[in-house]
Amino acid sequence: MPNAIITGTSRGLGRALAEKLLNEGWNVWGFSRTSSKIKHERFSEHLIDITDESSVQNAVSLISQNSPGIDLLINNAGAASMNAFLLTPAKTAEALMKLNYLGTFHCLQAVGKLMVRQRRGLIINITTVAVPLALAGEAAYVASKAAVDSLTKVTAEEFKSHGITVIGLGFGPMDTDLIKAVNKEKLNQINQRIDRPHGTTLNQATDFIFEHLDKKSLTTGDLYYLGKIS
Amino acid sequence: MITRAQILTLILNRLKMLGEELHKPALVQATEQTRLFGDKADLDSMGLVTLIADLEYDLQQHVGRSVSLVDEKAMSRLTSPFRRVDYLADYLVELLNVPKS
Repeated sequence: MPNAIITGTSRGLGRALAEKLLNEGWNVWGFSRTSSKIKHERFSEHLIDITDESSVQNAVSLISQNSPGIDLLINNAGAASMNAFLLTPAKTAEALMKLNYLGTFHCLQAVGKLMVRQRRGLIINITTVAVPLALAGEAAYVASKAAVDSLTKVTAEEFKSHGITVIGLGFGPMDTDLIKAVNKEKLNQINQRIDRPHGTTLNQATDFIFEHLDKKSLTTGDLYYLGKIS
Repeated sequence: MITRAQILTLILNRLKMLGEELHKPALVQATEQTRLFGDKADLDSMGLVTLIADLEYDLQQHVGRSVSLVDEKAMSRLTSPFRRVDYLADYLVELLNVPKS
């Protein structure tokens, strides 16, 4: 049975992904600050803050002692904030960079070492269409996710010879808490730009991720988007 | 409690395995003086990453807690602990607070 670690499993895409992987027979370890309340014999939850390096290291170390290996890491945990750049508090930029970038960094490093030992693994970093579209009003969020995209490309190069594939999967606005405060008109405009006039549901996003679980069809370091990026 | 001799054995065992995997006899027959990284070394950066990941795992098994070999202290040393086997062993002795015998 394959094994996966997913971050941000308490709600939204992370939770939906965990449930889908469990339904498909995977063992899943979830990292989140609050409980997902998922009850499943193959689901284990670590209530940790992924911006804390030692918490991540300890959780991964515990998992490695209790499993034959990790096949998949999905770096999904993240936060967003919409604001004009000139009105964005520096504290907001710092918090987004910490969670979106540094949280991903810590998980990539801890699980990356484990996968290097295994000489195999697939890492998926969740990203956003907001980066290639350079969406106005999302400077701090876009910058933090652009940092994640760079991490995807560089780690893909470094991990390639160890049999590890690293990709980014990007989405437009999804029906999650992340966008509940965003103006509907603005959401419609973004969805039109990526040719998804009806937006993206959690089911469509999880299906898209599942389509990318077969490493043979992937090019490591690539960023794949659900929607048209021109 | 792990000793320097045990640490050295862990390093040499991992180098032996890596040497067999990478077909590098010098690593299979590594000694305390074997260069790990830099000029005239048999490991490239990817090989060093593998060695570090493997050693962290071995040390964790011995000391019962997660051990990170790569920290500010290691990186800011005048002589890199990853340059030679004995330097690495000495660094790990310090990192793990092994009492000097």
